[in-house]
Amino acid sequence: MNTTQQTARVGLFFLLGVALVWVTFETLSDGKLFAEHSHKLIAGFDDLKQLKNGDEVRLAGVRVGSVETTRLAGRRAEAVLLIDPKVPIASDATATIEMSGLIGGNYISIEMGTPGSPPLADGAEIKTVSTPDLNALMSELGGLGKQLQESLGSFSTAINGDAKGGGGIIQKIDKILTDNTARLNATMVNLQQITDKINHGEGTLGKLVNSPELHDQLLATVGEIQTAAAQAKEFVANAEGIMAQVKSGQGTLGTLIYDPKAAADIRASIADIRSVSDKLAKGEGTLGKLLNDDSLYNSAEVTIKKVDRTLDGLNDSGPITAVGIVVNALF
Amino acid sequence: MKQITKVLEGVGSVVQLLLQSLSYAGTLPRQGARFIEQCYMIGYTTLPIVAILSFFIGTVLALEAGYAMEGFGAKEFIGSLVGLSMARELGPMMTSVLLAGRVGSAITAELASMKVYQEIDALTTMNIPAAKILVLPRLAAVLVMMPVLIIIANIVGWFGGSVVARYVSSVGISPEAYFAALRHYTKFKDVMNGTAKAEVFGFVVVLVCCDIGLNTRGGPREIGASVTRGVVVSLILILVLDYFVTKLLM
Repeated sequence: MNTTQQTARVGLFFLLGVALVWVTFETLSDGKLFAEHSHKLIAGFDDLKQLKNGDEVRLAGVRVGSVETTRLAGRRAEAVLLIDPKVPIASDATATIEMSGLIGGNYISIEMGTPGSPPLADGAEIKTVSTPDLNALMSELGGLGKQLQESLGSFSTAINGDAKGGGGIIQKIDKILTDNTARLNATMVNLQQITDKINHGEGTLGKLVNSPELHDQLLATVGEIQTAAAQAKEFVANAEGIMAQVKSGQGTLGTLIYDPKAAADIRASIADIRSVSDKLAKGEGTLGKLLNDDSLYNSAEVTIKKVDRTLDGLNDSGPITAVGIVVNALF
Repeated sequence: MKQITKVLEGVGSVVQLLLQSLSYAGTLPRQGARFIEQCYMIGYTTLPIVAILSFFIGTVLALEAGYAMEGFGAKEFIGSLVGLSMARELGPMMTSVLLAGRVGSAITAELASMKVYQEIDALTTMNIPAAKILVLPRLAAVLVMMPVLIIIANIVGWFGGSVVARYVSSVGISPEAYFAALRHYTKFKDVMNGTAKAEVFGFVVVLVCCDIGLNTRGGPREIGASVTRGVVVSLILILVLDYFVTKLLM
Protein backbone atom coordinates (compact mmCIF):
# COMPACT_ATOMS: atom_id res chain seq x y z
CA MET A 1 0.00 0.00 0.00
CA ASN A 2 1.47 3.33 -0.97
CA THR A 3 1.55 6.35 1.25
CA THR A 4 -1.20 8.18 -0.64
CA GLN A 5 -3.70 5.37 -0.12
CA GLN A 6 -2.76 5.14 3.52
CA THR A 7 -3.21 8.86 4.01
CA ALA A 8 -6.58 8.80 2.24
CA ARG A 9 -7.82 5.97 4.41
CA VAL A 10 -6.69 7.71 7.59
CA GLY A 11 -8.34 10.93 6.42
CA LEU A 12 -11.57 9.13 5.60
CA PHE A 13 -11.49 7.37 8.93
CA PHE A 14 -10.92 10.63 10.77
CA LEU A 15 -13.74 12.39 8.92
CA LEU A 16 -16.04 9.49 9.65
CA GLY A 17 -15.21 9.85 13.33
CA VAL A 18 -15.84 13.59 13.30
CA ALA A 19 -19.16 13.07 11.52
CA LEU A 20 -20.23 10.44 14.04
CA VAL A 21 -19.27 12.70 16.94
CA TRP A 22 -21.40 15.44 15.42
CA VAL A 23 -24.35 13.10 14.88
CA THR A 24 -24.10 11.87 18.46
CA PHE A 25 -23.86 15.41 19.72
CA GLU A 26 -26.96 16.48 17.78
CA THR A 27 -28.90 13.42 18.85
CA LEU A 28 -28.12 13.41 22.54
CA SER A 29 -27.84 17.11 23.32
CA ASP A 30 -30.24 18.65 20.78
CA GLY A 31 -27.37 20.71 19.42
CA LYS A 32 -26.67 22.44 22.72
CA LEU A 33 -23.23 21.77 24.13
CA PHE A 34 -23.67 24.03 27.12
CA ALA A 35 -26.86 24.54 29.05
CA GLU A 36 -28.68 27.77 28.29
CA HIS A 37 -29.14 30.34 31.01
CA SER A 38 -32.05 29.09 33.03
CA HIS A 39 -34.57 30.62 35.36
CA LYS A 40 -34.06 29.60 38.96
CA LEU A 41 -37.08 28.89 41.14
CA ILE A 42 -37.08 27.78 44.77
CA ALA A 43 -39.50 25.05 45.85
CA GLY A 44 -39.73 24.42 49.59
CA PHE A 45 -41.12 21.16 50.98
CA ASP A 46 -41.38 19.47 54.35
CA ASP A 47 -39.79 16.40 52.79
CA LEU A 48 -38.09 16.09 49.40
CA LYS A 49 -38.53 12.30 49.52
CA GLN A 50 -36.16 10.77 46.96
CA LEU A 51 -35.77 13.87 44.80
CA LYS A 52 -32.17 14.35 43.69
CA ASN A 53 -30.05 16.59 41.53
CA GLY A 54 -30.84 16.31 37.83
CA ASP A 55 -34.40 15.07 38.27
CA GLU A 56 -36.87 16.47 35.78
CA VAL A 57 -39.18 19.43 36.22
CA ARG A 58 -42.36 19.06 34.17
CA LEU A 59 -45.02 21.66 33.44
CA ALA A 60 -48.29 19.89 32.71
CA GLY A 61 -46.28 16.77 31.94
CA VAL A 62 -43.83 18.46 29.54
CA ARG A 63 -40.18 18.67 30.59
CA VAL A 64 -39.22 22.31 31.12
CA GLY A 65 -36.18 22.02 33.36
CA SER A 66 -34.36 20.06 36.02
CA VAL A 67 -33.48 20.10 39.69
CA GLU A 68 -30.17 21.90 40.11
CA THR A 69 -29.62 21.12 43.75
CA THR A 70 -31.36 20.15 46.96
CA ARG A 71 -30.58 21.72 50.30
CA LEU A 72 -31.82 22.23 53.82
CA ALA A 73 -33.15 25.66 54.73
CA GLY A 74 -34.00 25.83 58.41
CA ARG A 75 -36.80 23.44 59.22
CA ARG A 76 -37.64 22.63 55.63
CA ALA A 77 -35.95 21.23 52.53
CA GLU A 78 -35.57 23.25 49.35
CA ALA A 79 -35.10 22.23 45.74
CA VAL A 80 -33.55 24.75 43.37
CA LEU A 81 -35.20 24.34 39.97
CA LEU A 82 -33.63 25.38 36.66
CA ILE A 83 -36.45 26.30 34.29
CA ASP A 84 -36.29 27.04 30.58
CA PRO A 85 -36.49 30.86 30.43
CA LYS A 86 -38.80 30.63 27.42
CA VAL A 87 -41.44 28.95 29.60
CA PRO A 88 -43.10 31.39 32.02
CA ILE A 89 -44.34 29.87 35.26
CA ALA A 90 -47.48 31.53 36.61
CA SER A 91 -47.20 33.05 40.07
CA ASP A 92 -50.11 30.96 41.34
CA ALA A 93 -48.77 27.71 39.86
CA THR A 94 -48.12 24.95 42.40
CA ALA A 95 -45.31 22.40 42.45
CA THR A 96 -45.57 18.86 43.78
CA ILE A 97 -43.16 15.93 43.98
CA GLU A 98 -44.48 13.08 41.85
CA MET A 99 -43.26 9.54 41.31
CA SER A 100 -42.14 8.73 37.80
CA GLY A 101 -42.05 4.98 38.39
CA LEU A 102 -42.32 2.25 40.95
CA ILE A 103 -38.55 1.89 41.17
CA GLY A 104 -38.15 5.18 42.95
CA GLY A 105 -37.75 7.90 40.32
CA ASN A 106 -39.20 11.29 41.21
CA TYR A 107 -39.82 14.54 39.40
CA ILE A 108 -41.26 17.96 40.16
CA SER A 109 -44.65 18.51 38.59
CA ILE A 110 -45.84 22.10 38.10
CA GLU A 111 -49.44 22.93 37.30
CA MET A 112 -50.27 25.63 34.78
CA GLY A 113 -51.84 28.10 37.22
CA THR A 114 -54.44 30.69 36.31
CA PRO A 115 -54.33 32.19 32.80
CA GLY A 116 -53.18 35.79 32.92
CA SER A 117 -51.28 35.45 36.17
CA PRO A 118 -47.94 37.28 36.18
CA PRO A 119 -44.92 34.99 35.69
CA LEU A 120 -42.56 34.21 38.55
CA ALA A 121 -39.31 36.14 38.47
CA ASP A 122 -35.85 34.59 38.45
CA GLY A 123 -35.07 33.35 41.97
CA ALA A 124 -38.66 33.55 43.18
CA GLU A 125 -40.28 30.90 45.34
CA ILE A 126 -43.00 28.75 43.84
CA LYS A 127 -45.98 27.52 45.85
CA THR A 128 -45.79 23.86 46.77
CA VAL A 129 -48.21 21.15 47.81
CA SER A 130 -47.03 18.07 49.66
CA THR A 131 -48.35 14.75 48.45
CA PRO A 132 -48.15 11.43 50.28
CA ASP A 133 -45.37 9.17 49.03
CA LEU A 134 -45.68 5.52 48.17
CA ASN A 135 -44.66 4.38 51.65
CA ALA A 136 -47.35 6.51 53.27
CA LEU A 137 -49.94 5.28 50.78
CA MET A 138 -48.95 1.66 51.35
CA SER A 139 -49.13 2.22 55.10
CA GLU A 140 -52.61 3.71 54.78
CA LEU A 141 -53.67 0.90 52.49
CA GLY A 142 -52.39 -1.60 55.02
CA GLY A 143 -54.44 0.06 57.78
CA LEU A 144 -57.45 0.15 55.50
CA GLY A 145 -57.06 -3.54 54.72
CA LYS A 146 -56.84 -4.32 58.42
CA GLN A 147 -60.00 -2.32 59.12
CA LEU A 148 -61.76 -4.05 56.23
CA GLN A 149 -60.72 -7.42 57.56
CA GLU A 150 -62.00 -6.53 61.02
CA SER A 151 -65.26 -5.25 59.58
CA LEU A 152 -65.74 -8.40 57.56
CA GLY A 153 -64.97 -10.47 60.67
CA SER A 154 -67.55 -8.54 62.67
CA PHE A 155 -70.07 -8.91 59.87
CA SER A 156 -69.39 -12.62 59.65
CA THR A 157 -69.76 -12.97 63.41
CA ALA A 158 -73.00 -11.02 63.29
CA ILE A 159 -74.33 -13.25 60.54
CA ASN A 160 -73.07 -16.64 61.68
CA GLY A 161 -72.53 -16.15 65.40
CA ASP A 162 -69.32 -16.60 67.34
CA ALA A 163 -67.61 -19.53 69.00
CA LYS A 164 -68.78 -18.47 72.49
CA GLY A 165 -72.26 -19.61 71.70
CA GLY A 166 -73.77 -16.30 70.72
CA GLY A 167 -76.12 -16.89 67.83
CA GLY A 168 -75.82 -14.85 64.69
CA ILE A 169 -78.55 -13.14 62.77
CA ILE A 170 -79.29 -16.23 60.72
CA GLN A 171 -79.66 -18.38 63.85
CA LYS A 172 -81.90 -15.77 65.45
CA ILE A 173 -84.10 -15.51 62.37
CA ASP A 174 -84.29 -19.26 62.24
CA LYS A 175 -85.30 -19.40 65.90
CA ILE A 176 -87.96 -16.73 65.41
CA LEU A 177 -89.38 -18.60 62.46
CA THR A 178 -89.38 -21.88 64.37
CA ASP A 179 -91.03 -20.42 67.45
CA ASN A 180 -93.71 -18.57 65.51
CA THR A 181 -94.55 -21.04 62.81
CA ALA A 182 -98.18 -21.37 63.92
CA ARG A 183 -98.69 -17.62 64.13
CA LEU A 184 -97.03 -17.05 60.81
CA ASN A 185 -99.24 -19.69 59.23
CA ALA A 186 -102.33 -18.05 60.73
CA THR A 187 -101.14 -14.66 59.48
CA MET A 188 -100.63 -16.05 56.03
CA VAL A 189 -104.14 -17.58 56.09
CA ASN A 190 -105.58 -14.25 57.15
CA LEU A 191 -103.69 -12.47 54.40
CA GLN A 192 -105.02 -15.02 51.93
CA GLN A 193 -108.57 -14.41 53.11
CA ILE A 194 -108.14 -10.66 52.86
CA THR A 195 -106.83 -10.86 49.34
CA ASP A 196 -109.65 -13.24 48.41
CA LYS A 197 -112.21 -10.74 49.69
CA ILE A 198 -110.58 -7.94 47.81
CA ASN A 199 -110.65 -10.04 44.66
CA HIS A 200 -114.34 -10.78 45.18
CA GLY A 201 -115.18 -7.13 45.74
CA GLU A 202 -116.07 -7.52 49.39
CA GLY A 203 -115.51 -4.74 51.87
CA THR A 204 -114.49 -1.15 51.24
CA LEU A 205 -111.11 -1.99 49.74
CA GLY A 206 -112.62 -4.72 47.56
CA LYS A 207 -115.31 -2.41 46.27
CA LEU A 208 -112.78 0.29 45.67
CA VAL A 209 -110.68 -2.13 43.68
CA ASN A 210 -113.49 -3.87 41.80
CA SER A 211 -116.37 -1.37 41.45
CA PRO A 212 -116.30 0.82 38.31
CA GLU A 213 -118.85 3.27 39.80
CA LEU A 214 -116.74 3.83 42.85
CA HIS A 215 -113.80 4.34 40.60
CA ASP A 216 -115.72 6.94 38.59
CA GLN A 217 -116.85 8.71 41.74
CA LEU A 218 -113.33 8.74 43.00
CA LEU A 219 -112.17 10.23 39.74
CA ALA A 220 -114.95 12.86 39.88
CA THR A 221 -113.98 13.72 43.45
CA VAL A 222 -110.42 14.08 42.40
CA GLY A 223 -111.59 16.33 39.55
CA GLU A 224 -113.51 18.50 41.96
CA ILE A 225 -110.52 18.69 44.22
CA GLN A 226 -108.48 19.76 41.25
CA THR A 227 -111.08 22.42 40.35
CA ALA A 228 -111.12 23.65 43.94
CA ALA A 229 -107.37 23.74 43.91
CA ALA A 230 -107.43 25.73 40.69
CA GLN A 231 -109.89 28.18 42.19
CA ALA A 232 -107.80 28.44 45.29
CA LYS A 233 -104.84 29.07 43.08
CA GLU A 234 -106.76 31.77 41.24
CA PHE A 235 -107.83 33.27 44.54
CA VAL A 236 -104.28 33.31 45.73
CA ALA A 237 -103.22 34.87 42.43
CA ASN A 238 -105.86 37.59 42.84
CA ALA A 239 -104.78 38.17 46.41
CA GLU A 240 -101.21 38.41 45.24
CA GLY A 241 -102.34 40.93 42.60
CA ILE A 242 -104.13 42.99 45.20
CA MET A 243 -101.13 42.83 47.45
CA ALA A 244 -98.97 43.90 44.56
CA GLN A 245 -101.25 46.86 43.88
CA VAL A 246 -101.25 47.74 47.57
CA LYS A 247 -97.47 47.51 47.64
CA SER A 248 -97.22 49.67 44.58
CA GLY A 249 -99.36 52.28 46.34
CA GLN A 250 -102.38 51.88 44.08
CA GLY A 251 -105.99 52.17 45.42
CA THR A 252 -107.21 53.47 48.70
CA LEU A 253 -105.50 50.87 50.83
CA GLY A 254 -102.27 51.25 48.95
CA THR A 255 -102.37 55.01 49.26
CA LEU A 256 -103.24 54.69 52.93
CA ILE A 257 -100.25 52.38 53.60
CA TYR A 258 -97.57 53.52 51.20
CA ASP A 259 -98.41 57.20 50.30
CA PRO A 260 -96.40 59.50 52.60
CA LYS A 261 -98.70 62.42 51.86
CA ALA A 262 -101.78 60.48 52.93
CA ALA A 263 -99.98 59.41 56.06
CA ALA A 264 -99.13 63.04 56.80
CA ASP A 265 -102.76 64.05 56.19
CA ILE A 266 -103.97 61.33 58.54
CA ARG A 267 -101.47 62.38 61.18
CA ALA A 268 -102.65 66.01 60.78
CA SER A 269 -106.29 64.92 61.04
CA ILE A 270 -105.61 62.91 64.16
CA ALA A 271 -103.79 65.90 65.61
CA ASP A 272 -106.83 68.11 64.83
CA ILE A 273 -109.22 65.60 66.39
CA ARG A 274 -106.98 65.41 69.44
CA SER A 275 -106.98 69.23 69.66
CA VAL A 276 -110.79 69.36 69.39
CA SER A 277 -111.20 66.63 71.99
CA ASP A 278 -108.80 68.45 74.29
CA LYS A 279 -110.85 71.65 73.94
CA LEU A 280 -114.04 69.71 74.55
CA ALA A 281 -112.51 68.17 77.62
CA LYS A 282 -111.39 71.55 78.89
CA GLY A 283 -114.85 73.01 78.27
CA GLU A 284 -113.69 75.45 75.70
CA GLY A 285 -116.04 76.63 72.98
CA THR A 286 -119.76 76.21 72.70
CA LEU A 287 -119.72 72.42 72.47
CA GLY A 288 -117.25 72.21 75.35
CA LYS A 289 -119.35 74.37 77.53
CA LEU A 290 -122.40 72.41 76.48
CA LEU A 291 -120.68 69.24 77.57
CA ASN A 292 -119.03 70.53 80.73
CA ASP A 293 -121.15 73.43 82.07
CA ASP A 294 -124.31 72.33 83.97
CA SER A 295 -125.66 75.91 84.18
CA LEU A 296 -126.74 75.82 80.56
CA TYR A 297 -128.57 72.61 81.23
CA ASN A 298 -130.20 74.14 84.28
CA SER A 299 -131.22 77.27 82.38
CA ALA A 300 -132.68 75.21 79.60
CA GLU A 301 -134.58 73.13 82.12
CA VAL A 302 -136.00 76.25 83.75
CA THR A 303 -136.94 77.62 80.36
CA ILE A 304 -138.61 74.42 79.32
CA LYS A 305 -140.58 74.41 82.56
CA LYS A 306 -141.67 77.94 81.94
CA VAL A 307 -142.73 77.11 78.45
CA ASP A 308 -144.59 74.18 79.79
CA ARG A 309 -146.47 76.34 82.28
CA THR A 310 -147.19 78.85 79.60
CA LEU A 311 -148.69 76.25 77.38
CA ASP A 312 -150.77 75.05 80.27
CA GLY A 313 -152.01 78.65 80.73
CA LEU A 314 -152.83 78.92 77.10
CA ASN A 315 -154.90 75.89 77.27
CA ASP A 316 -156.80 77.36 80.18
CA SER A 317 -157.23 81.04 79.05
CA GLY A 318 -157.70 80.74 75.42
CA PRO A 319 -155.80 82.10 72.52
CA ILE A 320 -156.54 85.76 73.27
CA THR A 321 -154.46 85.89 76.28
CA ALA A 322 -151.86 83.60 74.96
CA VAL A 323 -149.55 86.38 73.95
CA GLY A 324 -149.84 88.08 77.26
CA ILE A 325 -149.31 84.88 79.16
CA VAL A 326 -146.26 84.08 77.08
CA VAL A 327 -144.86 87.50 77.68
CA ASN A 328 -145.55 87.28 81.38
CA ALA A 329 -144.18 83.89 81.65
CA LEU A 330 -141.09 84.80 79.82
CA PHE A 331 -140.37 88.15 81.39
CA MET B 1 12.51 -4.45 47.57
CA LYS B 2 13.90 -5.32 44.21
CA GLN B 3 10.40 -5.38 42.72
CA ILE B 4 9.59 -1.97 44.18
CA THR B 5 12.83 -0.62 42.78
CA LYS B 6 11.91 -2.02 39.37
CA VAL B 7 8.46 -0.43 39.54
CA LEU B 8 9.89 2.95 40.52
CA GLU B 9 12.49 2.59 37.80
CA GLY B 10 9.75 1.89 35.27
CA VAL B 11 7.73 4.91 36.40
CA GLY B 12 10.76 7.15 36.16
CA SER B 13 11.63 5.82 32.73
CA VAL B 14 8.06 6.42 31.45
CA VAL B 15 8.01 9.97 32.80
CA GLN B 16 11.41 10.66 31.27
CA LEU B 17 10.26 9.32 27.90
CA LEU B 18 7.10 11.44 28.08
CA LEU B 19 9.06 14.61 28.80
CA GLN B 20 11.52 13.85 26.01
CA SER B 21 8.70 13.27 23.55
CA LEU B 22 6.90 16.46 24.55
CA SER B 23 10.10 18.38 24.12
CA TYR B 24 10.01 17.42 20.44
CA ALA B 25 6.34 18.33 19.99
CA GLY B 26 7.31 21.20 17.74
CA THR B 27 8.73 18.73 15.20
CA LEU B 28 5.42 16.93 14.71
CA PRO B 29 4.30 18.95 11.66
CA ARG B 30 7.46 17.81 9.89
CA GLN B 31 6.67 14.17 10.71
CA GLY B 32 3.38 14.01 8.82
CA ALA B 33 4.11 10.74 7.08
CA ARG B 34 5.03 8.96 10.31
CA PHE B 35 1.99 10.45 12.01
CA ILE B 36 -0.33 9.25 9.22
CA GLU B 37 1.26 5.82 9.29
CA GLN B 38 0.68 5.51 13.03
CA CYS B 39 -2.88 6.79 12.67
CA TYR B 40 -3.45 4.07 10.11
CA MET B 41 -2.02 1.42 12.43
CA ILE B 42 -3.71 2.61 15.60
CA GLY B 43 -7.06 3.70 14.16
CA TYR B 44 -7.91 2.25 10.79
CA THR B 45 -6.62 -1.29 11.30
CA THR B 46 -8.07 -1.49 14.80
CA LEU B 47 -11.57 -0.47 13.69
CA PRO B 48 -12.92 -3.89 12.61
CA ILE B 49 -12.06 -5.66 15.82
CA VAL B 50 -13.33 -2.70 17.88
CA ALA B 51 -16.62 -2.71 15.96
CA ILE B 52 -17.13 -6.46 16.33
CA LEU B 53 -16.30 -6.42 20.02
CA SER B 54 -18.51 -3.37 20.72
CA PHE B 55 -21.45 -4.87 18.85
CA PHE B 56 -21.38 -7.97 20.99
CA ILE B 57 -20.80 -5.99 24.19
CA GLY B 58 -23.97 -4.08 23.37
CA THR B 59 -25.92 -7.25 22.66
CA VAL B 60 -24.77 -8.93 25.88
CA LEU B 61 -25.59 -5.83 27.89
CA ALA B 62 -29.11 -5.68 26.44
CA LEU B 63 -29.60 -9.39 26.99
CA GLU B 64 -28.46 -9.29 30.61
CA ALA B 65 -30.39 -6.10 31.30
CA GLY B 66 -33.53 -7.61 29.78
CA TYR B 67 -33.15 -10.72 31.93
CA ALA B 68 -32.55 -8.69 35.11
CA MET B 69 -35.14 -5.99 34.51
CA GLU B 70 -37.92 -8.31 33.44
CA GLY B 71 -38.31 -9.31 37.08
CA PHE B 72 -39.58 -5.90 38.11
CA GLY B 73 -41.09 -4.63 34.87
CA ALA B 74 -38.40 -2.13 33.94
CA LYS B 75 -37.46 -3.40 30.49
CA GLU B 76 -38.07 0.06 29.05
CA PHE B 77 -34.86 1.15 30.76
CA ILE B 78 -32.66 -1.28 28.82
CA GLY B 79 -31.78 1.46 26.36
CA SER B 80 -30.63 3.76 29.10
CA LEU B 81 -28.54 1.04 30.73
CA VAL B 82 -26.84 0.06 27.47
CA GLY B 83 -26.37 3.70 26.45
CA LEU B 84 -24.80 4.81 29.69
CA SER B 85 -22.72 1.68 30.16
CA MET B 86 -21.26 1.85 26.67
CA ALA B 87 -20.65 5.60 26.71
CA ARG B 88 -19.20 5.96 30.18
CA GLU B 89 -17.42 2.68 30.86
CA LEU B 90 -17.44 -0.31 28.57
CA GLY B 91 -16.79 1.54 25.31
CA PRO B 92 -13.63 3.33 26.54
CA MET B 93 -12.31 0.47 28.63
CA MET B 94 -12.82 -2.36 26.16
CA THR B 95 -11.45 -0.28 23.30
CA SER B 96 -8.39 0.50 25.40
CA VAL B 97 -7.96 -3.17 26.26
CA LEU B 98 -8.13 -3.99 22.55
CA LEU B 99 -5.66 -1.23 21.88
CA ALA B 100 -3.30 -2.69 24.44
CA GLY B 101 -3.65 -6.17 22.99
CA ARG B 102 -3.37 -5.24 19.36
CA VAL B 103 -1.52 -1.94 19.04
CA GLY B 104 0.41 -1.97 22.33
CA SER B 105 1.87 -5.40 21.67
CA ALA B 106 2.82 -4.39 18.12
CA ILE B 107 4.52 -1.23 19.32
CA THR B 108 6.45 -3.09 22.01
CA ALA B 109 7.49 -5.80 19.59
CA GLU B 110 8.60 -3.31 16.94
CA LEU B 111 10.58 -1.09 19.30
CA ALA B 112 12.05 -4.08 21.17
CA SER B 113 13.22 -5.55 17.91
CA MET B 114 14.76 -2.26 16.91
CA LYS B 115 16.44 -2.09 20.29
CA VAL B 116 17.67 -5.69 20.23
CA TYR B 117 18.95 -5.38 16.67
CA GLN B 118 20.63 -2.07 17.57
CA GLU B 119 18.58 0.11 15.22
CA ILE B 120 17.81 2.41 18.13
CA ASP B 121 21.49 2.64 18.89
CA ALA B 122 22.15 3.50 15.24
CA LEU B 123 19.56 6.27 15.38
CA THR B 124 21.11 7.58 18.57
CA THR B 125 24.50 7.55 16.91
CA MET B 126 23.06 9.64 14.09
CA ASN B 127 21.68 12.01 16.72
CA ILE B 128 18.11 11.04 15.93
CA PRO B 129 16.31 10.57 19.26
CA ALA B 130 13.91 7.62 19.39
CA ALA B 131 11.47 9.74 21.41
CA LYS B 132 11.28 12.15 18.49
CA ILE B 133 10.57 9.87 15.51
CA LEU B 134 9.29 6.69 17.18
CA VAL B 135 7.34 7.78 20.24
CA LEU B 136 5.95 11.25 19.48
CA PRO B 137 4.07 10.29 16.27
CA ARG B 138 2.52 7.32 18.07
CA LEU B 139 1.39 9.46 21.03
CA ALA B 140 -0.08 12.06 18.70
CA ALA B 141 -1.77 9.39 16.59
CA VAL B 142 -3.39 7.70 19.56
CA LEU B 143 -4.71 11.04 20.83
CA VAL B 144 -6.32 11.74 17.45
CA MET B 145 -7.61 8.23 16.76
CA MET B 146 -9.03 7.27 20.15
CA PRO B 147 -12.08 9.61 19.97
CA VAL B 148 -12.92 8.21 16.55
CA LEU B 149 -12.62 4.63 17.78
CA ILE B 150 -14.67 5.42 20.88
CA ILE B 151 -17.55 7.06 19.05
CA ILE B 152 -17.72 4.17 16.60
CA ALA B 153 -17.57 1.68 19.48
CA ASN B 154 -20.40 3.48 21.27
CA ILE B 155 -22.67 3.69 18.25
CA VAL B 156 -22.05 0.08 17.22
CA GLY B 157 -22.64 -1.05 20.80
CA TRP B 158 -25.90 0.89 21.03
CA PHE B 159 -26.98 -0.60 17.74
CA GLY B 160 -26.13 -4.11 18.97
CA GLY B 161 -28.32 -3.54 22.02
CA SER B 162 -31.20 -2.40 19.85
CA VAL B 163 -30.91 -5.55 17.70
CA VAL B 164 -31.24 -7.73 20.80
CA ALA B 165 -34.06 -5.57 22.16
CA ARG B 166 -35.94 -5.97 18.90
CA TYR B 167 -35.34 -9.59 17.94
CA VAL B 168 -34.86 -11.48 21.20
CA SER B 169 -38.27 -12.45 22.50
CA SER B 170 -37.30 -12.43 26.17
CA VAL B 171 -36.33 -8.76 25.86
CA GLY B 172 -38.95 -7.73 23.32
CA ILE B 173 -39.05 -3.94 23.28
CA SER B 174 -39.29 -1.80 20.18
CA PRO B 175 -36.22 0.02 18.82
CA GLU B 176 -38.16 3.28 19.28
CA ALA B 177 -38.60 2.62 23.01
CA TYR B 178 -34.99 1.46 23.28
CA PHE B 179 -33.55 4.57 21.63
CA ALA B 180 -36.01 6.87 23.42
CA ALA B 181 -34.76 5.59 26.79
CA LEU B 182 -31.18 5.79 25.55
CA ARG B 183 -31.61 9.39 24.42
CA HIS B 184 -33.46 10.32 27.60
CA TYR B 185 -30.78 9.16 30.01
CA THR B 186 -27.58 9.33 27.96
CA LYS B 187 -26.23 12.81 27.40
CA PHE B 188 -23.45 14.03 25.18
CA LYS B 189 -21.40 14.84 28.25
CA ASP B 190 -21.45 11.11 29.08
CA VAL B 191 -19.95 10.40 25.67
CA MET B 192 -17.36 13.13 26.24
CA ASN B 193 -16.62 11.69 29.66
CA GLY B 194 -15.94 8.27 28.16
CA THR B 195 -13.85 9.81 25.39
CA ALA B 196 -11.70 11.62 27.93
CA LYS B 197 -11.12 8.36 29.77
CA ALA B 198 -10.20 6.60 26.54
CA GLU B 199 -7.71 9.35 25.68
CA VAL B 200 -5.97 8.81 29.00
CA PHE B 201 -5.98 5.03 28.63
CA GLY B 202 -4.75 5.08 25.03
CA PHE B 203 -2.01 7.61 25.78
CA VAL B 204 -0.77 5.56 28.76
CA VAL B 205 -0.90 2.28 26.81
CA VAL B 206 1.18 3.67 23.93
CA LEU B 207 3.62 5.43 26.25
CA VAL B 208 4.19 2.39 28.46
CA CYS B 209 4.52 0.02 25.50
CA CYS B 210 7.02 2.37 23.84
CA ASP B 211 9.03 2.59 27.05
CA ILE B 212 9.08 -1.17 27.59
CA GLY B 213 10.06 -1.74 23.97
CA LEU B 214 12.84 0.83 24.10
CA ASN B 215 14.20 -0.64 27.36
CA THR B 216 14.42 -4.21 26.08
CA ARG B 217 17.76 -5.81 26.76
CA GLY B 218 19.10 -9.11 25.41
CA GLY B 219 18.15 -11.16 22.40
CA PRO B 220 14.99 -12.27 20.54
CA ARG B 221 13.63 -14.08 23.59
CA GLU B 222 13.49 -10.79 25.47
CA ILE B 223 11.38 -9.32 22.69
CA GLY B 224 8.56 -11.75 23.51
CA ALA B 225 8.98 -11.10 27.22
CA SER B 226 8.76 -7.36 26.63
CA VAL B 227 5.58 -7.77 24.60
CA THR B 228 4.00 -9.82 27.35
CA ARG B 229 5.09 -7.34 29.97
CA GLY B 230 3.85 -4.42 27.89
CA VAL B 231 0.38 -5.90 27.48
CA VAL B 232 0.09 -6.95 31.13
CA VAL B 233 1.27 -3.60 32.47
CA SER B 234 -1.07 -1.79 30.07
CA LEU B 235 -4.09 -3.83 31.19
CA ILE B 236 -3.27 -3.29 34.85
CA LEU B 237 -2.79 0.42 34.32
CA ILE B 238 -6.06 0.67 32.39
CA LEU B 239 -8.02 -0.87 35.23
CA VAL B 240 -6.22 1.09 37.96
CA LEU B 241 -6.50 4.37 36.10
CA ASP B 242 -10.15 3.65 35.31
CA TYR B 243 -11.10 4.09 38.93
CA PHE B 244 -9.16 7.30 39.44
CA VAL B 245 -10.12 8.92 36.14
CA THR B 246 -13.77 8.01 36.67
CA LYS B 247 -13.64 9.52 40.13
CA LEU B 248 -11.91 12.61 38.76
CA LEU B 249 -14.47 13.14 36.00
CA MET B 250 -17.53 12.73 38.22
